[in-house]
Amino acid sequence: MKNKYIFGGFIIVVFLGIMGYLFTQSNIQYQDDFSKVMTTTKTVKATGSWVKEKNYQIDKVKKTFTFFMADDKGNEMKVVYNGTIPNNFESAISVVVTGKYVEGYFHARHILTKCPSKYENQQIQTSTM
Amino acid sequence: MIGSIVLVFALACSVVSMVMYYLNFRGYKNTLNYGRISYHAMAMLVIVASTILWYVLLTHQYEYKYVFSYSNNSLTTGFLLSSFWGGQEGSFMLWLLITSIIGIFLQSYASKRDDLEPRIMAVFTLTTTFLLLMVSPWFKNPFEFIWATPIFIDLKSINPDHLGLPFLQSFFFTDQGGGNSFIQANAELKNLLVSSGISMNQFIVDGRGLNPQLLNFWMQIHPPILFTGFGMSTVPFAFALAALMKNEYRDWVKQAFPWLLAGMGVLGLGIMLGGYWAYEMLGWGGYWAWDPVENSSLIPWIVGLAGIHTLLVQRKTQNKGGIGKFAKTNLILCIFTYLLVLYSTFLTRSGVLGDASVHSFVDPGMTVYLFLILFIGTFILLGLGAIVYRWKSLTDETAIEENLLSRELALFTAAVVLIASAIIVLVGTSAPLFGQSVDTFFYNEMNIPIAIIIGFLNGLSLLIKWKHTNKQDVFRKSIPSVVTAFVFTLSIVLFGGVDDIMMILLAFSMAFSLVVNAEIAVKIIKGNKKMLGAYVAHIGIALFILGVIGSAAYSKQVDVDLIKNETTTAFGFEMTFTGWIPIDNNTKYSFNIDIKKGNSEYKVEPVMYISEFNNSLMRIPAILTLPTQDFYISPIGYDEGTASANKNVKTISLKKGGTTEFNGAQISFKSFNLGVETMAAMQEGRDFQMGALLKLEKNDKELEFELLRKSVGGKIEFTSFVSQENDINIDLVNLSADKIEIALSKLNDNSDDHSSHIKQEILTVSASVKPFISLVWIGIAVMVFGFFISVTRRLRESLKQQR
Repeated sequence: MKNKYIFGGFIIVVFLGIMGYLFTQSNIQYQDDFSKVMTTTKTVKATGSWVKEKNYQIDKVKKTFTFFMADDKGNEMKVVYNGTIPNNFESAISVVVTGKYVEGYFHARHILTKCPSKYENQQIQTSTM
Repeated sequence: MIGSIVLVFALACSVVSMVMYYLNFRGYKNTLNYGRISYHAMAMLVIVASTILWYVLLTHQYEYKYVFSYSNNSLTTGFLLSSFWGGQEGSFMLWLLITSIIGIFLQSYASKRDDLEPRIMAVFTLTTTFLLLMVSPWFKNPFEFIWATPIFIDLKSINPDHLGLPFLQSFFFTDQGGGNSFIQANAELKNLLVSSGISMNQFIVDGRGLNPQLLNFWMQIHPPILFTGFGMSTVPFAFALAALMKNEYRDWVKQAFPWLLAGMGVLGLGIMLGGYWAYEMLGWGGYWAWDPVENSSLIPWIVGLAGIHTLLVQRKTQNKGGIGKFAKTNLILCIFTYLLVLYSTFLTRSGVLGDASVHSFVDPGMTVYLFLILFIGTFILLGLGAIVYRWKSLTDETAIEENLLSRELALFTAAVVLIASAIIVLVGTSAPLFGQSVDTFFYNEMNIPIAIIIGFLNGLSLLIKWKHTNKQDVFRKSIPSVVTAFVFTLSIVLFGGVDDIMMILLAFSMAFSLVVNAEIAVKIIKGNKKMLGAYVAHIGIALFILGVIGSAAYSKQVDVDLIKNETTTAFGFEMTFTGWIPIDNNTKYSFNIDIKKGNSEYKVEPVMYISEFNNSLMRIPAILTLPTQDFYISPIGYDEGTASANKNVKTISLKKGGTTEFNGAQISFKSFNLGVETMAAMQEGRDFQMGALLKLEKNDKELEFELLRKSVGGKIEFTSFVSQENDINIDLVNLSADKIEIALSKLNDNSDDHSSHIKQEILTVSASVKPFISLVWIGIAVMVFGFFISVTRRLRESLKQQR
């Protein structure tokens, strides 16, 4: 009986250990401060918004999609994504990019665009005439 | 209005039913009938309210906010019916409707089984009470009128006959950037309209429509099936609590078993249909992204599966008398299956996953958030509280001798492994609550070893008997299956190119499980067919995982440019883009691609269109299903060929102050023209335009002009400048922070060969092959079929008196 619990406990400890280890390995933190994004070497999920006045570029040969993102404080960074422009990109109110900042720009491997109208009512910014 | 009233009455009936059933349980004999009557009244009222919701959707009564927000005049009847669950309110309504109907069956089932009915229905009506509160006028009511909270309505939704009304002036709003006008609907407007004899239904004549991603057949059936699974997982919870109420833990096992099986079968099917929808609609080529929303319905399913295994042990060991083994485990698992359904609802509906998931609903507001917390909190307290309260009487188990090679232990291990898998998914899915998130490899790395263990365990457990088995016996019996599985694995390693060690182990373990199950299934088909369920279900799982190995680990993908009428080859498929045609009243574009593979020819038609609903480009993939693989073509973009194919075009980028020469003229870039207004519009994300001031000089004549970069509704447009006199055409190609790019060409350019002027139409697609993906769907279908064979067997057993 006692052996059973020792064995079970051992398995649980090993399981939790592996899970904890993999969790820290695969852990990606949200980061809305780009000055931190640019200094860390870890993969992060940077949240911010697209700098519209800097436009975006689609390189058809290299198959990259490049644009500039800014955080709330106004820090800007260049984002290069190996792929095509995501659906809804132009109308996104905020953008979440997953990747790393290396050699002067953010290498994104995933882009998530949050749109105001995705599932709920459109929040229209208006001002009275 | 009438809908809300019906729902409030239903809520009252639900509460009365709950109280009456509970009183009956406490010994008041005459309250049973009141409980039954009010339950049926509640269910009828919910059905009536749902019918009303369908009716107002079908008759386009846009005075209801829900109808206005999720439907419009152009939807077909089928989609109008499914817009019932297009939004939060309606999906709660659907959950309630299905749960109420399940309750009718449960009541009839329970009334035939001893004194079960009052206990189980008292618990069950508590869940319907909470769902009814959710859709009541205080929270997410689908019958809320449009003027209840001020809402902006696009002018095109408003009846033009009434636009001239004088009092409307003070309700007009204009989006300054886009110039779009809206009318703000609120109670004041409604009163003014009514006093002019106009109803809201006459005033608003069209709605916003359904999200285009939901305009798909699978989205018409996925939510009802998923919610049937959710609704049915309420039942094992109710059974567990009913057992705890009576403090009797023997009979509930066989009584709850068919419900748990059926619920998990339906939930599994619902989850798969969601995956199939993603595969067919979203265009990224997969069916499972470990997205929190997908995960959150997977977790209760895995826990339910674990419960099935341990319930089986408890039932089997009851033959020796007593309550059987794993009584506590079973109660806890049945309770957790439902709690995790509620947790899933909380994650997807409360807005907490805002940044983490593509398809979570947006923040529903603080009251709903708190109500969801109250909902889930009540059931956690109730479920776990009851277990703690009864802990002493539960620990009184009959000790049974254990053997390492017993099927009891194998089944228990299966449950433990499944729970481990559920914990992994739960941890990853909950991480966003703490500002963390995990990469998808977390789920894969953790679950692959678990799947390998499951395969071996499953195969092995069927070779060993209940209680005790001789080691040599197991060894001898497993040889044929191990050899067959080994040959199979070897062949896919040699011929299929499978080289990853984990994938080889996984394939081997699944092949082993498949062979053992198939062997037994064949034996059973000759004998007692009703025993077939478990084996069929496990064959399904093994096929499914083999399909996952092929389609996920060995999928190949490439982006290709298809030039019109030129053949491009990818993965042995010769693709020729032959042109596009407008479909659906010119609202969508279907791109025709001829595909040749060997001697077979096929045609596929991916579709792209701009959706008015969210102003964005929608891309719908085309899938060519072949026996051993799918060829998946997802459109990326279409370029109808630009003037840059013209050799005589000079494209140059100019910095401020820069100059270039073309056709004898000096062209210089003087400055940007950005007004204060532009800056403001830009910052607010409205439509705006930026200008570049240029100067053209030729023969001492100066000409100043402006080129514009406009951003209209999210799309970028550039203007051109034509000077006939100087024979120059200037196109603005790009405008960035410090420079502009312009394309210069002559107007009458006949000097060059014309071949360079032919427009090259290019369709860019992402093409991928998905080997054996059909096994994924077939596997799940077989598994669900297996579940239902088991359900019929266990239903019969649940009536049998034991000893």
